[in-house]
Amino acid sequence: MTTGKPLLAVEHLTKRYGDVVALNDVTFTITDGITGILGENGAGKSTAIKILLGLLQPTSGSATVLGENASESIAVRGRVGYMPEHDALPTHVSASEFLTHMAEVSGLPPSMARIRAADTLRHVGLFEERYRAIGGYSTGMKQRVKLGQALVHDPAFVFLDEPTAGLDPAGREEMLTLIRKTHREFGISVLFSSHLMADIERTCDRIIVLQGGQLVQSGEVGQFTKETETVFIEVDSNREGLMAALEKRGIAAIVDGSGMTIEGPDESVYDHVRDALIESQAPLRRMAPRRRALTELFERDSDKAQQKGAA
Amino acid sequence: MSAKLSSSGTVFDIGYRSYTGAREGRGRARRAVFKDGVRAALGFGRGGRAKILPWFFITALSALGLIFAIVAGAAERLGGPGAAEQMNLPSHSDFYGIASIIMFVFAAVVAPELLCPDRRNGVINLYLVRPLTGSDYIASRWAAFFVVMLGAAWLPQMILFLGLSGGDPIPMEYLEKHWLDVPRFLAAGTAMAAYTTTIAMLTSSFTTRRAYASVFLVGLFVIMAPFTIGLALEIGGTAGQWISMFTLTSIPVHVNDVIFGEVSEITDMAPARELGPTMLVSWFFAWTFVAGAVLWWRYRRLAP
Repeated sequence: MTTGKPLLAVEHLTKRYGDVVALNDVTFTITDGITGILGENGAGKSTAIKILLGLLQPTSGSATVLGENASESIAVRGRVGYMPEHDALPTHVSASEFLTHMAEVSGLPPSMARIRAADTLRHVGLFEERYRAIGGYSTGMKQRVKLGQALVHDPAFVFLDEPTAGLDPAGREEMLTLIRKTHREFGISVLFSSHLMADIERTCDRIIVLQGGQLVQSGEVGQFTKETETVFIEVDSNREGLMAALEKRGIAAIVDGSGMTIEGPDESVYDHVRDALIESQAPLRRMAPRRRALTELFERDSDKAQQKGAA
Repeated sequence: MSAKLSSSGTVFDIGYRSYTGAREGRGRARRAVFKDGVRAALGFGRGGRAKILPWFFITALSALGLIFAIVAGAAERLGGPGAAEQMNLPSHSDFYGIASIIMFVFAAVVAPELLCPDRRNGVINLYLVRPLTGSDYIASRWAAFFVVMLGAAWLPQMILFLGLSGGDPIPMEYLEKHWLDVPRFLAAGTAMAAYTTTIAMLTSSFTTRRAYASVFLVGLFVIMAPFTIGLALEIGGTAGQWISMFTLTSIPVHVNDVIFGEVSEITDMAPARELGPTMLVSWFFAWTFVAGAVLWWRYRRLAP
């Protein structure tokens, strides 16, 4: 999945906690853009992020961030940002005071920290509320402060751990827009961890799928959905006749609700469907291409991993 | 010359500006945590309620120094030169003994503010992913509260010194005679601040709730003293002297006594003073360094 110089690189990374294997020989690279790291609870997402942030030592293998060994270089942490999943905000200070402080802790001089804090709060949509104590903010506003503190020192790379957790649909949409803006307008690359596949699908350029501590899939989001393109056909009657006509032409159709689906991105399939419809005399009600959501892909991969584990 | 003012303006969105300035790394991070610690201890950047307790204690300590100075000055004016000394009025050597209880309660109430909320709110997780280690964090927080305690310890002694020298009929003569009190109270104040800071910070590192830490510290500092002193006096002998050594509020006051070369009123009846200056000073260092080492160890291994 590497298309440019890797910002993050993980090679044969293994992390064990006693007998529990959190990550098992995982290798991937992440380049410029928005990358989603997808997996269920316990898949190893947080462990991978903590190793990349230099907070955990891997049992074996290596993790490099911006060309430096993550577990050895403290300085590199000044060039990355981290938005944690759980609450991590003081209640009695204002957003302005907090972001200024966090910019200083990231190494910025005090005068620049104040400017950056004001700029960042404007970009995350909290400029008007910046002098209010954070304790009085809504969940959505707190998520924005958490994103703001991750961006305030203008990192080259930012880790976002479940950034939409606890948000209502409107707040979630706004957060996803901000994440897209973070890369497209601010030029900051993003590693976005989530178990919400719809969020990853809508926001990310690439995905990494972890399951049981193992890398299951990695690649461009578009490639995944394109590979799994299907054609949905619905007829008023004689569905069986149409399926038989399609089978005669070497096309396997699968019953799907009131219609059927045909797999394959090949455009010649449409000619075969036309011919089969004529032959079977089945009245066509609807025919449309449909991309399989990442949800289905993930379910398929989970089954594969479970089968592999059972074997 | 006339200028035509426009009645309308245009707001330009300058968009996102990347930061190209200096990145000062770990040193700046340490200084920022230190600065924030001082501000948190004094309630700066927080609401009005956060300022009440620290400034109440600082005012109380300063007022105590001022009262000592006024009383001594009045005695000198009314009784003539040297009257304050003859009346054995409390002075620099007695100050920390008398004020120690206020300083301990101050530490018990304010020190948890520097550590507990960061762990309770999870802000510590944001510190540890920046160019800052757990050791850097705790050293900076310790230094911040130490500086605040140092200010709280030195300020009333300075007020007292200025009051006593200004109140003396011949101020220059007072300065010539008592100048050595200045390095002595600075040293004794440093010992007092280092000890109270370390014990209060260590206790605060064991809980995420400020109230628990404060109540425990007040119990440790205030309630424990009558028990150990009473038990020590009851048992007597060497065992009594060693039990008396566990009066935690007296440990830095014994060092104050060693520095000034005289016993203050609060340690006068403590059997521990019979163990001698070397043992008393070593005991102080043992408590301060062991507590400091445990504190550092707890944060050194901390990870989100």
